[in-house]
Amino acid sequence: MNGAASISRISLSNVNLHYPSVAYATRSLLSMLGRAVGKGSRTPRLKDIHALKNITTEIKKGERVALLGHNGAGKSTFLKVVAGLYPISSGQLEVKGQIRSLFDISLGFEPDATGRANILYRGLLLGCSPRFVREREAEIVAFADLGEFIDYPLSTYSAGMQVRLAFAISTFIGGDVLLLDEVIGAGDASFMVKARARISELIQQSEILVLASHDLQTVSSFCERGLVFHHGELAFDGPTARAIAAYRRLTGLSNG
Amino acid sequence: MREYFAGIWAARYFWMHLAMADLRARWRRSFFGVLWSMLQPLGTALLLAIVLARLLKQDIRSYAPYVISGMIVWDFVMAVSTGGALSFVQADAYIKHFRHPLAIYSLRTVIANLTVLGLASVPMFVWAAIAQPGNLGVTWLGALSIYPVLLLIFWPLITLLAYAGSRFRDLPNVMQLALQALWFVSPVYFGTKMFRDAKLDALVDYNPIFHLLQLVRAPLLEGKWPSAANFEFCAGMAILFTILAWLVGRKAERRVIFYL
Repeated sequence: MNGAASISRISLSNVNLHYPSVAYATRSLLSMLGRAVGKGSRTPRLKDIHALKNITTEIKKGERVALLGHNGAGKSTFLKVVAGLYPISSGQLEVKGQIRSLFDISLGFEPDATGRANILYRGLLLGCSPRFVREREAEIVAFADLGEFIDYPLSTYSAGMQVRLAFAISTFIGGDVLLLDEVIGAGDASFMVKARARISELIQQSEILVLASHDLQTVSSFCERGLVFHHGELAFDGPTARAIAAYRRLTGLSNG
Repeated sequence: MREYFAGIWAARYFWMHLAMADLRARWRRSFFGVLWSMLQPLGTALLLAIVLARLLKQDIRSYAPYVISGMIVWDFVMAVSTGGALSFVQADAYIKHFRHPLAIYSLRTVIANLTVLGLASVPMFVWAAIAQPGNLGVTWLGALSIYPVLLLIFWPLITLLAYAGSRFRDLPNVMQLALQALWFVSPVYFGTKMFRDAKLDALVDYNPIFHLLQLVRAPLLEGKWPSAANFEFCAGMAILFTILAWLVGRKAERRVIFYL
């Protein structure tokens, strides 16, 4: 996984992913009774969702790739498949390099614990040793810039303060393959500037970036290649500017 | 398999943290905090012992540790089996975010509950040492084997239950019912002699709960080592559940995420 000699690489060939309908179709006694008593079924039968259709692509070391597409087009599913979370139904998937995914930055926060304690907890969740987190603690505290609140329980924080802390903790450690899902955009204006700087730092340290975002400005400033998804299919793969144009065409946005 | 365990080891800070978080949540904002895990079983067991000792005409000094041992081990079995069936369901946010072996989430449940059991057993050891100092000796080391034995049995069992529990959410209810039935036919509070007098030897000799409890009871109450049969029975369970968990996990592991 973290062999220094291995070169980061993501490769998919004819990858399909189905979400099985048994997983979300309700199978309770109540619903069965309802179906038996009610005349005919008003609720349509749910089918397997074909979330990724025959995706073939390759991302090499050094590439910064944006995922574009309407809601439900398959961007997040693609990220989660690359992260190894979802088992693919068919096709081949190969991912080399240590993956760092930022999908939910405030996962694992404990509201009753202090900000400082949460730094440790979150660091442990990311797989760091307690010693390593303590060494980096001052740096995280400085970045979050919460003043004395860092020693107060999280439940006393405003929403914006929580986001700042979450962002500071989640981004202090990078990886070879960086997977981001709409995380850029945290806190007030002054923090935004810092956050953007931190993200670009992370991106520079990483060997591969895959970023799912609706913010076209962010996309064009960070990425040179874009994958456009449309109803689970890979509709376009090429330079960012042309990918954005393709995305606009597909979603019916004017070139404004 | 080796790779799987390497993954569990690599994620050790992760699941240790989750287990600690469970314990923190348990004792949060309580004045006595950790002490409750010792006081609560001690208090209940004493009340029970007073009543039952009279009813069953037992000597309370030796009967109280019998009841405490039965109660805390049973509490562990109960908590870990009903709660453990939802180990994956409760960890859904983590499972959807990190790629770790799923067995770390059942391990977390077992570790947290073992810690509680460890605390709850302190009054049991103290009581046994005061009430029957004659039994105090090296055999007490045998009693300590209950912790690793419980880990080896319940980790695979809970993993198995959690695979099923992520798909069939009725499982905790089913487990509760099944355990209630098991409780009635196990020498948790009632002495083994009562079962044997009623010619119900099979309920003792082939009862996993009996063999588990003997690991603690033989040293504390009789000053003896647990028997080879006790250990063999426990080892058998651990091996059986590990094989089953492995067989089920091979297919189920990757698909659990769809059911969360």
